Amino acid sequence: MRIGKVIGTVTLSRRHPSLAGAQYRMVVPLSLDDLTCDEEPRAEAIVVFDELGAGYGCRIAISEGGEAAQPFYPELKPVDAYNAAILDNVSIVK
Amino acid sequence: MQVGTVVGTATSTVKHASMEGWKLLVVQPMLAGGTTPDGDPVLVVDALGAGTGQEVMISSDGKGTRELLGVEATPVRWSVVGIKD
Amino acid sequence: MFVAKVTGSLVSTQKVDTLVGHKLLVVEPYRLDAKDRDRLVTTGRTFITVDTMGAGEGEYVLITQGSSARLTPETKDLPIDTVIVGIIDSVHIDQQCVFDREED
Repeated sequence: MRIGKVIGTVTLSRRHPSLAGAQYRMVVPLSLDDLTCDEEPRAEAIVVFDELGAGYGCRIAISEGGEAAQPFYPELKPVDAYNAAILDNVSIVK
Repeated sequence: MQVGTVVGTATSTVKHASMEGWKLLVVQPMLAGGTTPDGDPVLVVDALGAGTGQEVMISSDGKGTRELLGVEATPVRWSVVGIKD
Repeated sequence: MFVAKVTGSLVSTQKVDTLVGHKLLVVEPYRLDAKDRDRLVTTGRTFITVDTMGAGEGEYVLITQGSSARLTPETKDLPIDTVIVGIIDSVHIDQQCVFDREED
């Protein structure tokens, strides 16, 4: 899981039937530099499947690849990025 | 498996149920030399009690991590599998 | 997942049996404009993807990639690495709308 910052939301007019009941967040994965400075992160945003209700500006744990579908075991869904946790605090010691 | 440096910790109240009770470390994966960062930091579950500043071995084996957590339905992939001497 | 625009379709007669009968689309991943963050811009990359949603040319779609692309009933037996899982209505960054289907 990488750490990401929620910067927005994607709204779908139609979705695959297996993907009901969640929201889609635009999330920028954070580098170590991003975690230790206050500037806006610059990386390309990805779209993350969010069942936890992460708000704008939240830092979240992004599960990617095959593990992103694993929470739905045994009925796996076509999800490649999943919000595993809303982070209260990330403490970095440099 | 990869070598990484524990650069911090993360806490979370609202999270996937499978992560309840697990400490989350922020680990910066490093190239083998141990001084060059390799990609973004990752969140790793830790059963060994690694501390900030320590060099650890982390594994991206999701199956191994699911066995560690004792849950099949979990989004967690990375776990600490060793602390470097 | 990522946002992409359907820019074309692809026809192939000679293909693996499991792909027969599936619509193949050409899509371009889009990203947030890095400087002004007020609109979506193309990344210049292209993918071929399988359409399970009836997406049309010009539409913006949500795409799942990697092994997860096979995790739908329609795609579980296909040798694919991307699949369309949604049609995008709008994208907001903070409160600002950076894409709206009606206005596009």
